[in-house]
Amino acid sequence: MNELTQLVDDLCSRSTGDELWRNLEETGLARLTSGQGAGPADAAIVLSGLARHAAAVPLAETDLLAAWLADKAGLPVPSTGPLTVAITDATESGGRITGAAHDVQWPSSTVVSATRTADALHVGLIGGELRTVDISVFDELIRRGAWARCNQIIGALDAACEMTVAHTGQRVQFGRQLNKFQAVQHSLATMAGEIERARAATALAVAAAADYGFDHPATDYAVTVAKVAVGRAVDPVTTIAHQLHGAIGVTVEHRLWRATMPARSWVDEFGTTATYARRLGRIALAADHPWDVVVSYPGPR
Amino acid sequence: MSNFDALCANDAELVQLRTSIRQFLAADRAEFGWQPAVDCWLAKWDPDFSARLASAGFVGLTIPSEYGGRGLGYLHRYVVTEELLAHGAPVAAHWIADRQVAPALLSYGSEEQRRRLLPRIAAGQLYSAIGMSEHGAGSDLAAVQTRASRVDGGWVLNGSKVWTSGAHVAHQIVVLARTSALDPDHRHAGFSQFIVQTSSPGILIEPILLMNGEHHFNEVILTDVFVPDGDVLGQIGDGWHQVTAELGFERSGPERILSTATLIFSAIRALGDVDDGVAAKVGDLVARMISLRQLSISVARTLADGRDAANRAALVKDLGTRFEQDSVELVADLLDYVEDPEPLRALLATARVHSPLFTLRGGTNEVLRGVVAKGMKT
Repeated sequence: MNELTQLVDDLCSRSTGDELWRNLEETGLARLTSGQGAGPADAAIVLSGLARHAAAVPLAETDLLAAWLADKAGLPVPSTGPLTVAITDATESGGRITGAAHDVQWPSSTVVSATRTADALHVGLIGGELRTVDISVFDELIRRGAWARCNQIIGALDAACEMTVAHTGQRVQFGRQLNKFQAVQHSLATMAGEIERARAATALAVAAAADYGFDHPATDYAVTVAKVAVGRAVDPVTTIAHQLHGAIGVTVEHRLWRATMPARSWVDEFGTTATYARRLGRIALAADHPWDVVVSYPGPR
Repeated sequence: MSNFDALCANDAELVQLRTSIRQFLAADRAEFGWQPAVDCWLAKWDPDFSARLASAGFVGLTIPSEYGGRGLGYLHRYVVTEELLAHGAPVAAHWIADRQVAPALLSYGSEEQRRRLLPRIAAGQLYSAIGMSEHGAGSDLAAVQTRASRVDGGWVLNGSKVWTSGAHVAHQIVVLARTSALDPDHRHAGFSQFIVQTSSPGILIEPILLMNGEHHFNEVILTDVFVPDGDVLGQIGDGWHQVTAELGFERSGPERILSTATLIFSAIRALGDVDDGVAAKVGDLVARMISLRQLSISVARTLADGRDAANRAALVKDLGTRFEQDSVELVADLLDYVEDPEPLRALLATARVHSPLFTLRGGTNEVLRGVVAKGMKT
């Protein structure tokens, strides 16, 4: 097993919440790409690993989004403690920018605001000065967010699948383990298929970010594909996981929903599945031949 | 080397090969006028095309050069295969020989068989069928009852095979037969494979026509057909292992994803200005195809490295063939937005006839899903 995977498993098995966060900071994982110089491939392992353990920590927000964005704007952020981003569109009038960010994740963290106006992105810490950066930074911010969510969802779906395989191997009805029923086997196979396909698309997005960086059209292509593939996997996988668990999976005492519910909310963040499907459709429609879009990113690199 | 390119099967060497097969296909189509077809690897039998493709060096890619092949790797073959399917080329004549018989000969064949058969396969001039299913042995292949009995200098085969694609135009059929009686405790024991010439006395090949009259399938009746010892493929009694060992490649390949590619691409290219809703439908279709291809390539790379990927290979076939099936009706919906859909209707009609076969051939999806579920261990 990969050393990093092992480390994440280890930290998650002995700590949760604030204590886990402190452990992530002590091991350098909390600022892996922004502080430790690690690349997207390592970030992907940590993000999916944390999600597989249903670890409620704002790692993507802190490392991949807020710390990176503040650095882009030349703004210092606290070197410890969780960070997050508040993203909004805004109007500019008379020297004032007005907008409201909704659905800010982890709002008790230090918030870095990303406010988009017609031709620029304004970045600041709450109560501090705003710095203006190129509008393309906004696109990269969203792309990083979508990329992180794909990796997190893969971790969450893996967890849901593992729990379902274990449950159907233990639970006995009609005198047989659930996994001896063909109907159940077919549902398990559907889960596995959706997850493996989503994983393959996400692997391409991770390779693109590692090879070319997040600010590159090939990465944009691969993240677009992955967000659709992962997005379309979440519903069948989580539905089957709950179906095969029976009603116990939605109860407060069970941990299944700690995997399925985050996956279901992540799927809509940084652009819905439909948004990315539309974008990919436009790319295919504009291409010389749709096959070129299937085989790889069709533009120059 | 870029990892991204490797995952897309687009490393420098593969890109070169991809470019050259595309150039060949464009020039060949311009000169000989074949039309891109749906399910071309079953339905479009064109011996002249197979010979031209082979003389351009695109058949027998993984066959070593000492046997007349190119001696290239599995991913080279993958690239050529997917380009042929994406362009709907008429590949059926040499397909099974190149895809299934050549690897089997390389793994289990005798040196004499390799020298005799592989050069003809690499030249695109040997056509082979595979005789597996029988009336009572569909999903349950171990129920095969065709018998081979020992005689002086060889074996005598009796029984009948069904769904034998291309048997009526093939030179040979690789037949799976029982060489010892059924042992209920070891159902998979006692099978062997035989290379049977279709010209042998005692072979009767009758067509099984599709609903629209297309003739691809056959019933093959074997009555006291003599097969010399030199045409036993592999070891007597080892047949089950031989036919299942290589299934990973066969299950996870591009032919499980791209049977309807020409229909999909023609429809997308025929769409003019469309609204966001239609663009999203196209995007969903393309995302399924790309993600399946990524999974298929990742399985191919694992298998090419000699590692096990049996479960994921079965997954590709289940997901890929269901995608092929779904794609037909998704395209039918898209035709609403095409200005002149008539030219596409013929492709659509063919796809609807072939579509039920996608999830049946090479092992039904129900059986595959059982295989996958049993491999999902905690």
